[in-house]
Amino acid sequence: MTRVLGWLAAAGLVIGLVMAFIVAPRELTQGHVQRIMYVHVPTAWVAYLAFGVVFVASVVYLARRSETADRLAHASAEVGVVFTGVTIASGSIWGKPTWGTWWTWDARLTSVAILFVMYLGYLLLRGMIDERERGARYAAVLGIIAALDIPLVHFSVYWWRTLHQPPSLMKPGGASTMPAPIMAALLINLVAFTLLYAYFVARRTRLLARQQQALA
Amino acid sequence: MADNWSFVIAAYAIAAIALGGYWRRLARLERDVERRDARPRRPR
Repeated sequence: MTRVLGWLAAAGLVIGLVMAFIVAPRELTQGHVQRIMYVHVPTAWVAYLAFGVVFVASVVYLARRSETADRLAHASAEVGVVFTGVTIASGSIWGKPTWGTWWTWDARLTSVAILFVMYLGYLLLRGMIDERERGARYAAVLGIIAALDIPLVHFSVYWWRTLHQPPSLMKPGGASTMPAPIMAALLINLVAFTLLYAYFVARRTRLLARQQQALA
Repeated sequence: MADNWSFVIAAYAIAAIALGGYWRRLARLERDVERRDARPRRPR
């Protein structure tokens, strides 16, 4: 199953690259630099998804003390941190030619940076506590608290005045006005990156189970 | 606006390095676990 997910993700990423560089047209205002969107938006979406999964798995862990839920939260947080790092880096690279700066402390960028640091802290906390059950419990609490930042990140562009544009997708109460080829390229990349996330999490979760068995 | 291809390439390259790096990390951790499993256990 994991192998199938891996091949599907690889095929999706190849199709996504073709869509982003060949099928999608050059954007009129920004030019070719807008093609960064096909990696920036999907990685941001996966970051939301990953930390949403951490939230749900943490609640399940605290309610049932399920080790599977704990492993899922751990794996999803780790993968989420990688994808958030890519989101921040690609956003910064996109920001320089369009805004004239690599970084600015506006609401969207700052809230994403806080999200990144909180989940890095989550992983550090897990690594610091030797007693497994106690580490899992503390991490679950932090996983729930940190998830409160996800809506803050998403709606920050509406709640505060920011340099960042409003969301390309998931707009509150409105359909996207994007041209069809650009929308198609974006959706295919969203699916491809989601498959890659599922593949990484499946592999990491299985690995965590094996590591725990070896230590038991 | 200028097309800024270098920025596009940099963004995709960083994504490839980060995601490829994580994939390699998983492969290394799996190899470590397999090696540990294969090692004969010392009698106590």
